[in-house]
Amino acid sequence: MKVAAATRAERGTNDAPLAGVGLRLPHLAEVATGALTSAWLEVHPENFLANPHARELLLDIAQRHAISLHTVGLSVGSVTGLDREHLRRICRLVDEVKPILVSGHLAWSTHRGVYLNDLLPLPYNQETLHVVATHVHEVQDALGRPYVVENPASYVGFATSTLTEADFLTELVTRTGCQLLCDVSNAFLSAANMGYDAHAYIDAFPAHAIAELHLGGFTREDDEATPGGEILIDTHAGAIAAPVWDLYAYALRRFGPRPTLIEWDNDLPSFLTLLAEADRADAVAVDALGHGHSHAPAS
Amino acid sequence: MTTGEREPGVAQLVGGAHPGTRLNIHLRHYEASLTTALREKFAACAWLAGADLVSAAARAYVRVQPPGHPCIAEYGEDFPQFIANYGRAPTMPYLESFAELEWAVGQVAIAIDYPPLSWPHFAQIGSERLIDSALILQPGLRYLRSAWGVDQLMTLHLSGTEPERFVLPESDTFIEVRGARGTVHLARLDGATFTFRRELAVGSSVGDAAGCALELDSTFDPGEALRLLVHTGLVATTTARANAS
Repeated sequence: MKVAAATRAERGTNDAPLAGVGLRLPHLAEVATGALTSAWLEVHPENFLANPHARELLLDIAQRHAISLHTVGLSVGSVTGLDREHLRRICRLVDEVKPILVSGHLAWSTHRGVYLNDLLPLPYNQETLHVVATHVHEVQDALGRPYVVENPASYVGFATSTLTEADFLTELVTRTGCQLLCDVSNAFLSAANMGYDAHAYIDAFPAHAIAELHLGGFTREDDEATPGGEILIDTHAGAIAAPVWDLYAYALRRFGPRPTLIEWDNDLPSFLTLLAEADRADAVAVDALGHGHSHAPAS
Repeated sequence: MTTGEREPGVAQLVGGAHPGTRLNIHLRHYEASLTTALREKFAACAWLAGADLVSAAARAYVRVQPPGHPCIAEYGEDFPQFIANYGRAPTMPYLESFAELEWAVGQVAIAIDYPPLSWPHFAQIGSERLIDSALILQPGLRYLRSAWGVDQLMTLHLSGTEPERFVLPESDTFIEVRGARGTVHLARLDGATFTFRRELAVGSSVGDAAGCALELDSTFDPGEALRLLVHTGLVATTTARANAS
């Protein structure tokens, strides 16, 4: 195990791109021993805010690894406003961990004090843009750094949308100075679910604002909305699908090298399996970009 | 969303021939993710009362008691009271206590100890000052009183032991749950010691906590109780004045 891990670490960041992996609680103690390593790690702060033991291990790991904080509960799309206490707790963790990136979703998940534990869709129009931009400003003011906003996985859209998702995100960048996280898997499955072209979506994404890429597994299910059809669900419960690797290569050629993260949250495999997926992302990046490019984040 | 009902806004959705049905994806995720989280938190209850009962109670709970905060580790504190009144659970009068104990075990397991107060430091506090002081106990401590010996049941579960027959004693039981960094230890206390420690844990002064214990047992020795508390590393620090009196 140590040898395999060391191979990645020794390769360094100068001669090849390096992808990171999501660090979830079941792997925390194992990674804290130092036997396994990754170019960088992403964690969900919500798993650590109310868990002092996990937080202690995370701070120890942060001494040796670059960490990215990926929030799942900030809910910048909620019309009833941000949970400011939650934002304060995130800020305290940011001060302790000193992450390389702080990111979250273009979605809403809270309404009138109820947390819905899901990333819910937004209509893309000027009214929503005002709500999201106001909240992104507030988050960035609290963090004192750019917030990185991720494109969602979509199953439904709204007839009241007047902007495409890419145009909405581009305008959000213009208004707030935020950065973007392009989840390539979300781009792929949203395009399949909503009936548009994934490559055109990537083409329309504002490349200059992209701070990070995500790759995750999805699950195929019968589509209740279209008898005989299928829908792709963003489950993060398996390996990355072949067409998503192809779209990832396309995105790299379009955007240039970017830090890339392997997301696997459910039916969690061994940490070594995650590292193997990261290795594959590195190999795809080398093929797409040629040697000598680095897309490991600066720590 | 929380109740499984859709509102009129469904008419504004797009996606597939019947886009409203795609909301079911979100409804299912909401219910499944929280139900799974509760099942994992109350795995011992599932061991005791059956996974079907706990799963059904969890599904009902997430509909009537959705989370108020994004940290799911904090969700489910009142699930013990909920499951005690759900389905056939009332036939198991010990289930609420057992679920409360399981919640406490989960909470102390993720705690980390403060550096314990040493006896020489503690001894520097004069007795007059001490009586009005509060003690800050280790964060991985919980005190539960039960009408059943649920600590024995929990010990069986944690040790992976499943006897063919087990008689759960109905007796007033005073339980101290101590844990830190993934380890948990259950101890039974006598009523007076339990009362003294529980009162200190909620911020009562040493004098008030001792008074409560002495009401229960006139032979209770506060000095010896304090010595034991400090020597076992349960006291992190003291404060000059108690929060409550």
